[in-house]
Amino acid sequence: MEDSLKGKIRQMMHEDSETLVRSLEREDGVLELKMGLDSGKFDVHNAISEDDDLKQELEDLIRKFYPEKKEFTEEDVDDVFDEDEYKAQSSAVRRSSVVEEVIPPENFSHVVGEIYRSSFPRPENFAFLQKRIKLKSILVLIPEEYPQENREFMEDAGIKLFQVGMSGNKEPFVNIPSDILTRALEVAINPANHPILIHCNRGKHRTGCLVGCIRRLQNWSLTMIFDEYRRFAFPKARALDQQFIEMYDDHVIKKNAHENNWLPIKW
Amino acid sequence: MVYIPPLNFAPVISTEVLLYRSGFPMPLNYPFIKDQLHLRTVIYVGDKEIADDYKEFLDEQNISYHYIHMNSCLDPEIHQQMDRVLRLVLDIENYPILIHSNKGKHRVGVVVGIIRKLLQGWSTTGIYQEYGIFSGGLKGAADLEFITMFNTELTVDKRKLPDFVRNFEST
Repeated sequence: MEDSLKGKIRQMMHEDSETLVRSLEREDGVLELKMGLDSGKFDVHNAISEDDDLKQELEDLIRKFYPEKKEFTEEDVDDVFDEDEYKAQSSAVRRSSVVEEVIPPENFSHVVGEIYRSSFPRPENFAFLQKRIKLKSILVLIPEEYPQENREFMEDAGIKLFQVGMSGNKEPFVNIPSDILTRALEVAINPANHPILIHCNRGKHRTGCLVGCIRRLQNWSLTMIFDEYRRFAFPKARALDQQFIEMYDDHVIKKNAHENNWLPIKW
Repeated sequence: MVYIPPLNFAPVISTEVLLYRSGFPMPLNYPFIKDQLHLRTVIYVGDKEIADDYKEFLDEQNISYHYIHMNSCLDPEIHQQMDRVLRLVLDIENYPILIHSNKGKHRVGVVVGIIRKLLQGWSTTGIYQEYGIFSGGLKGAADLEFITMFNTELTVDKRKLPDFVRNFEST
């Protein structure tokens, strides 16, 4: 299977390199769809990163399209907050936005009660977060410094920032430490902080782990927890994240939560 | 006690009133619905006959049940069907509400999309994104077009409007 997948990528490189490069840049699984691999099982980005030759060929190809781009960083690009990208996308959307409309951040959703999740909020999302969701706090899971623009917005809107930096589960060596996740959970489920928005960069992996652990505190079956995790991480679900959710030791958080009367979490 | 929420379950609105979405609830999911959601109304947009055990469960829980027959957004009477859903959603006395279809992807996706657009003023991008999360990013061109094009006029009791709609109207 893997080989035929790589064959397809090579074929596309020759026949329609422009579409290939464009799809690779996007995160929505368009490429997988095009290749008839939309079951979610095959991650083209993963296949590429496993094959050094193919990766090199693609990097050369991408350089042809974007001479200024240094390297093709594939999947892990999701986990790194990229200020330039953030600014470019912000201004692009801001120009086209209509006054009365509200724009939720990408991957936005309700979790439970007044706990929300999303990807990194951009300036065009601020009105939505302030006026509709009426946020009291934001819990950010990235270790990088929070952008000035977001800080200023939060100050104006009286929203409190909690930062619990973590690097995400990178297969196979890096793991989120349990105690850090416990700290994040303590912020997230404390009603004094609600309404609260939890976000990382894309709102897929780290946020997905945290929400998965919230579901465990709600006694959800693991099958449905993983189903939800995969829905938001699509098409980049990670086995390690799901394992993390399963293995997370909830002793400490359960004890603290009971002492503080945080459980059950109210819908 | 392990709770098993229905397929594709998620809250849609959780400020002041509670509105949920999901796929068709199965007996496995009843304890979750009963202990956690305290529903007053279930709206089913779909084409299957309601099973006896489900009907029994809903009666037992005193949940009022609305079956809105819908195959897809291409149905000829789709406008009336959608109006019926919206009337229920626009009445604060019906909450907490669960809207479900069979898989909780396409039909519910359309209904939620319409709510996001007409009652909450979400941007098209945000609506499409949400539809994509629950449908797994698959075949939705007709659905998305329908959400974009659909509009309606309803006369409803203003006093019974939920706050999230009122807030939107006043802004």
